[in-house]
Amino acid sequence: MRGTSYQGLRDGQLVELVAQKDAGALEALYDRYGRAAYSLARRILTEETLAQDVVQEVFLSLWRNAGRFDAGRGTVATYLLSMTHHRAVDVVRREENLRRWRTSDEGLELEPDPKARVEDDVVASERRAEVRAALVELPAAQREALLLAYFGGYTQREVAALVGVPLGTVKTRMAAGMRKMKEALQDAGTEEHPWTRQ
Amino acid sequence: MDTPMSHSEFEELAAGYVLGALEPDDEQAFRRHLEGCAVCEANVRELEAVVGELAYAVPQVDPPDTVWAGIRREIRPEAARRPAAPPPDTSGAVAGARRRRRGLGVLPGLAAAAAILLVVALSVWNLNLRDENAIYRDRVAALERATQLANDPNAALVTLDDSPGPAGAAGTVIASSREDRGVLIVENLPPLARDRVYELWSAPGGDFDRAEKALVFQPLRRPGTQTLLFEAPIQPGSVFAITEEPGPDGSAKPTTQPILTGLPPTA
Repeated sequence: MRGTSYQGLRDGQLVELVAQKDAGALEALYDRYGRAAYSLARRILTEETLAQDVVQEVFLSLWRNAGRFDAGRGTVATYLLSMTHHRAVDVVRREENLRRWRTSDEGLELEPDPKARVEDDVVASERRAEVRAALVELPAAQREALLLAYFGGYTQREVAALVGVPLGTVKTRMAAGMRKMKEALQDAGTEEHPWTRQ
Repeated sequence: MDTPMSHSEFEELAAGYVLGALEPDDEQAFRRHLEGCAVCEANVRELEAVVGELAYAVPQVDPPDTVWAGIRREIRPEAARRPAAPPPDTSGAVAGARRRRRGLGVLPGLAAAAAILLVVALSVWNLNLRDENAIYRDRVAALERATQLANDPNAALVTLDDSPGPAGAAGTVIASSREDRGVLIVENLPPLARDRVYELWSAPGGDFDRAEKALVFQPLRRPGTQTLLFEAPIQPGSVFAITEEPGPDGSAKPTTQPILTGLPPTA
């Protein structure tokens, strides 16, 4: 089976191997996070080919810079998904035509899944359920501000213009929303998963 | 900004910072503040973890195989030939960690067919291997690799047809476009003159003008089956062919008519 010898390795161990140019280790990380990265990029960019480019760039960047990865600054998952987000937002800001007004939670399907895909990765399914539950619990205005920024790539000033509130209100809503998300996800225990331990 | 920001104002900017949503002047000011504020730095790290989790809010979609294939093509020149992976950590939760979806998924028909073929092939081969361990060690390795590929949902099983080639010659390629590698199982190829070799080609869409060299090999000097590993750019729909070429290195492009050709089932 592809990547068998890497399955038991933690993310940090895999990154160390990637720094030694071990393609199998990169592939193992791609197996773990390529799907989440692609799903995120696809949601932000809406165009599949652009999303594919972003995911390739992210994993090639890890390949080239794995030696500089600092485990003390966060998990590999956070690193990869943050990079995916930043690059996708960079693209969406360059390609203004990609951005169109839509409700901020369009495509997120925040209602519970009536039937999750059986082949869904268990970890991803659990995470998704927890994150969606946390988002649903937020006041609508805070959720809207977070989602427009995160998935729409809008700056705080742009969010303020879209929603029709002062910039200061948007800053406060984002701060409050993120604080509540942090508390909710800590309560849900999503902070750490077996293979994310360094 | 004319009035210096208070610490609580910087704290409020942390959310916009991790979301990549700050205006340029706010971002610049926040970065400067971050360099000297351990409290905000710790807060940012925690919020970055939350942002990482937000990625899972969207419906999860499998990337097409071409994404990894493209990455693999880029890294191949630098990839270590024989990476030394440490032994897997088999303790506790990690050993029980959720296996990759691909590993759990139902094998597509092609790979399943390849798996069945290989189980049969391995059983037959094991009988022959019993007393000839040294001779067949490499073949065992190749068959193990073939078995691994057979479990790869992206692997395609391609039967090489000998028409109008030499009677009795037959071949099978198990190839993964995702990994750009495969295994050739071939038998009863006619012997060649000393300065000639066989060459396996991977031709995208059957276009032999764009054929890529996959493998150069000598046939067995007696009737039998050879199992050989190869690495080459492989695309879904690649056609495989074996030609006779000048040795010892073969040709850059096919110079003779194929003696065995195989179209993937989807081609």
